[in-house]
Amino acid sequence: MKLHSYLLRRLLLSIFVLVGLSIVIFIIARVVPGDPARMALGPRAPQFAVDALREEMHLDKPLVAQYYYWIKGVATGDLGRSLVTKRGVLEDIMEFLPATMELVMVSAIFVIVFSILFGTLAARYKDKWVDSVIRIMAYTGVAVPSFVLAVLFVLIFGYLWPVIPALGRLSAGVQPPVSITGLLTIDSLLTGDFPVFWDALKHLFLPALALAIGPIFQEARIIRSAMTDNMGKDYVAAAVGYGIPNHIIMGKYLLKPSLIPAVSVMGLDIASLMGNAFLVEVIFNWPGISRYGMEAMLRKDLNAISAVIIVFGLIFVLVNILVDLIVAYLDPRIRLGGKL
Amino acid sequence: MKNWARLRKKLVIPGILVLLVAMLLAGCGGGKTGSQKGAPDSQQSAREKIIRISEANVPNIDPGVGSDYASSIALANLYDTLVFPSHDGTLKPWLATDWKTSSDGLTWTFNLRHGVKFHNGDELTAEDVVFSMQRMLTLGEGYGYLFTDVVKEVKALDNYTVQFTLKKTFGPFLSTLVRLYILNKDQVMANIKPGPYGKMGDYGKDWLITNDAGSGPYMVKELKKQEHLYAVKFDHYWGGWDQDAPDSFKIIGTTSPSTIRTLMTRRELEITDQWQTKEALEALDRIPGVGVNAAFTGTILNIMFNTKKAPTDDVHFRKALAYAFDYDTVVDKLFPGSRKAKGPVSSVLPGFNPNLTPYERNLEKARAELAKSKYASRLDEYPVELAWVAEVPDEEKIALLLQSNAAELGIKVNVVKVPWLSFVDQVAKPENTPNASTVFVSPHYSEAGSILESRYHSKSTGTWEQCEWLKNAEIDAAIEDAISTLDTNKRFEKYRAIQEKIVDLAPTIWAFDQAEKRAYQEEYVVWPAADLIKQGKPVTSVMGYMFYFREFKVYPNKVPK
Repeated sequence: MKLHSYLLRRLLLSIFVLVGLSIVIFIIARVVPGDPARMALGPRAPQFAVDALREEMHLDKPLVAQYYYWIKGVATGDLGRSLVTKRGVLEDIMEFLPATMELVMVSAIFVIVFSILFGTLAARYKDKWVDSVIRIMAYTGVAVPSFVLAVLFVLIFGYLWPVIPALGRLSAGVQPPVSITGLLTIDSLLTGDFPVFWDALKHLFLPALALAIGPIFQEARIIRSAMTDNMGKDYVAAAVGYGIPNHIIMGKYLLKPSLIPAVSVMGLDIASLMGNAFLVEVIFNWPGISRYGMEAMLRKDLNAISAVIIVFGLIFVLVNILVDLIVAYLDPRIRLGGKL
Repeated sequence: MKNWARLRKKLVIPGILVLLVAMLLAGCGGGKTGSQKGAPDSQQSAREKIIRISEANVPNIDPGVGSDYASSIALANLYDTLVFPSHDGTLKPWLATDWKTSSDGLTWTFNLRHGVKFHNGDELTAEDVVFSMQRMLTLGEGYGYLFTDVVKEVKALDNYTVQFTLKKTFGPFLSTLVRLYILNKDQVMANIKPGPYGKMGDYGKDWLITNDAGSGPYMVKELKKQEHLYAVKFDHYWGGWDQDAPDSFKIIGTTSPSTIRTLMTRRELEITDQWQTKEALEALDRIPGVGVNAAFTGTILNIMFNTKKAPTDDVHFRKALAYAFDYDTVVDKLFPGSRKAKGPVSSVLPGFNPNLTPYERNLEKARAELAKSKYASRLDEYPVELAWVAEVPDEEKIALLLQSNAAELGIKVNVVKVPWLSFVDQVAKPENTPNASTVFVSPHYSEAGSILESRYHSKSTGTWEQCEWLKNAEIDAAIEDAISTLDTNKRFEKYRAIQEKIVDLAPTIWAFDQAEKRAYQEEYVVWPAADLIKQGKPVTSVMGYMFYFREFKVYPNKVPK
C-alpha cells in the first residue's frame, strides 16, 4: 500500500474514532449527577435564571437533540460556553492549550533524548554497573507517579534549594511576549526576547521533567531489551567480523531497528503526558488545558468537559498516526508494503 | 600510552552520566544566571506594597455573576456599595450618605455622595445605581437571588437620589445592599455585545469577565483565567489613601499545599486560602514571620437529620443522637481553634440567641430520649445512613465520631462517602436524602435571618442547604414574619424565638462553629481583621469584606530575609 493512501485511510478511520468518542463523552458528561445550570448559578439562583440557562444550553431538550445542537456547534467551531469561566470554550482552549502543548513538547524531547541515551548505554554496558544504575533509576522512575515527583520537585526546588523556578510559566514581573503561537519559548524567540525565553525555559524544566521521568525509563528499558536482542543477530556478528567499530555498529546498525518497539510505546506515552499533566499542572500552578479540564469535571462544566476530551482524543489520534508513519520509516517492510 | 587510551575509553561513559546528572540537577535550568535572575525577582516583588492571597479559584469579577469567596473578595475591592459592613456587625453609610424608609417599609430612599468617580473618570450617579440593580434582577445570577424576590422597582429621583420599591416588607434589606455593587452604566453599555437580553444584548457580561466598571479602591490590571486577578490602586478613590496601604493586590487561584508553602517561604504570598489542612497550617506556622489567623465568619458544620425518613423522623431519636455526640472532642482534638455551636445560628451573626441551651454530651439523657423513641426496641431494623462529602475529607472525622458515639447507644450508623455532585442530586428528594448528612453552611448576609431562612424555611428543601426537610408551617410563618419586621430589635427578638423552637425540634446536630484559618505574613502585613481577632473583638461575617485591602498596611522593609 502506498504511504499516502495508507495515511488517508488512517485519517478517515480517525474521524470515525472521534465521532464515537464524542458520542460516548457526550453521554457520560450528561448522565453524571447534578444539574449543570443549577450548579453554575448556585442553589439560591431564581428558577427563571436556571431555566434560561438550561434553554440556552439546550438541556431542556431530549439527549439526541442536545447532541445534534452540540455537534452542529462543534462543526462550525462553536464549542459552547463554559459555565465556569463564562466565556466561549474555544476561547478557553485556545488560551490554555498552548501552555500544555509547550509542556508536553519539552517533556517529549526529554523522553526521546534521554530514553535513547539511557537505553543505548544500558545495552552497551549490559550487566555492568552502568546498566545496573540505569536499571535502579528505571525501577524508581517508573514506579513513582509524576504528580508525586511534581510535589517533590516543588518542595525541593521551590522551598529547600530554590535554584530553579518551581511555579508558573514566568517569573513575577516578567512580561510575556506578544502572543503568536501561545508557546512562550517560541514567541519570545520569534520576538527576539531572549531573557523571557530563558525565563520561560527555566519554568518549563521541572514540570516537564516530572512528566517525562516515567516514560524516559520505560522507553529506555524497551530500547535496551531490543538492542540486546538484536546484538545476537547474524548481521551484527557479520559487522563485528568485518571489524566495524563498536560505536558505528551501535549507532548505525543497531539503534534504528531497536527503536521500532520503543517508538510505538513512546507515541502513546507522549500522548498520555497530556493526561498525566492533570495533577502536575495543578501542583506547578501551570495554566494549561489539563488543569482547566480538571476544574471542568469537578464543576460539571458540560461543554468544557466534552471539548477538552475531544481535543485530547484528537491529539491521541494524530500522535498515533505520526507514530505509525515513523515506524513505517524505520521499518522498510511496512513502508514498502511488505508482509510482516 | 595504550593504558591511557583504555582508561580514556573507560571514563567516557561515566563522564557522560555525571554530566547528565549535573545538567538535570542544576545546569539546564539553574546555573548561575538562573539563580541570579531568580533572586531579584522575588526580592523585587517583595519590595512592592502588594497583598497576594490564594483562593480556590480565580474570581468572577462581574458583580452580577460572581458570588463565591474569591469573587466576593474581588468585588469588595473593585466596586463600591451603598452601605458598608463594619466589623461590629453594623452598617455604615458609604456611597449613600443617608437614607429613609416609608412607614410601611416598602419604599427606601437613598441620598448619594457627590463627586464619586468611577475608574474611567465618570461621575457616579443615581442612574448607575438603578442600572446596577436592574442588571442584577434581570440576570438573576450571583448575588441576584437576594433581590429578585424582594425588589419591585428602582428609580432615580434625581442625580443623587435613588428610590427602591419593595414587593414585600423585608427587614434585612439594608444588610443585603452590601451585595449591590455599583457599575458604571455608560461604560458597560459601551461594551455590550449581542446576547439574550434584548436591547441590552449580553448586558456587558463578556466584557466584564476581564474588566471592571467600578469606583472601588482598586481597579483591574490583569485577569488571567486559571492564574490570577491583579488589581492596582485607584489613586482618585473618594475615600482617600493611607500611605502604607497596598498599591496592588493579587488573588491567585490555587490551593495546592506544596505551591502555597513554597510561595509563603519565598514571601511571594501574603495570605493563604482557608483550605489548607491542619498539618499544612502547622508547617506554614513554622515559617519565620508567618502566623495563623482564625476568624469566625458564621459558618457551622451541621449534621443534618432527614426528618422525613425513619428513624430520624422521630424527634426523640434525633435528640438521643444530639446528646450522645461528643462536642468537646470535636473542638479540642478534631478541629482545634473552632468553638462549640450553641444552635442553628453562629454567635457572630447579629440576631443570634445567646440564651439557648445547647445540646451537650450526656449519655443518660441520650438513653432517656432513646427510650421515648418509637424505634427504641427495633434499633437493629433502623440503621442510620450518614453521608459525608467526599471533597471535604475533614467531614469524615465527624462522621466517624458520631458513628462511635451512636454505637454506645446501640444505634448502628453506616458512614457513606458521597461525591458533591451526587450529593446535590440525592438531596433533591426526601426519599433519597440520607438520614444524616454533614454539610458546612455559611450565611448569605450578615443576620440570623439569612441562616434561618436558608436552612429551615420550607422553600430551601431540596437543596444541599436543607437536608432536614423540616417543612414546618409554624417555623415558616415565624421566619417570614421575622424577616418582614422592620424594627431591628423586634426582628432580632423574633429570630431568637425561632432559634429556640428549632433547637427543641433537634433537626440538626450543630457540630461546631468553624474557624476560618489562614496563614499570613504577620511580620510585614497589617491585617486589621486579624488584629481585631487577636484582641478578642468580632470581625465582619460578610464574606469577602475581611479582605478590604484598602485598610491593610504593608511594610516592605520588614520582609524577613
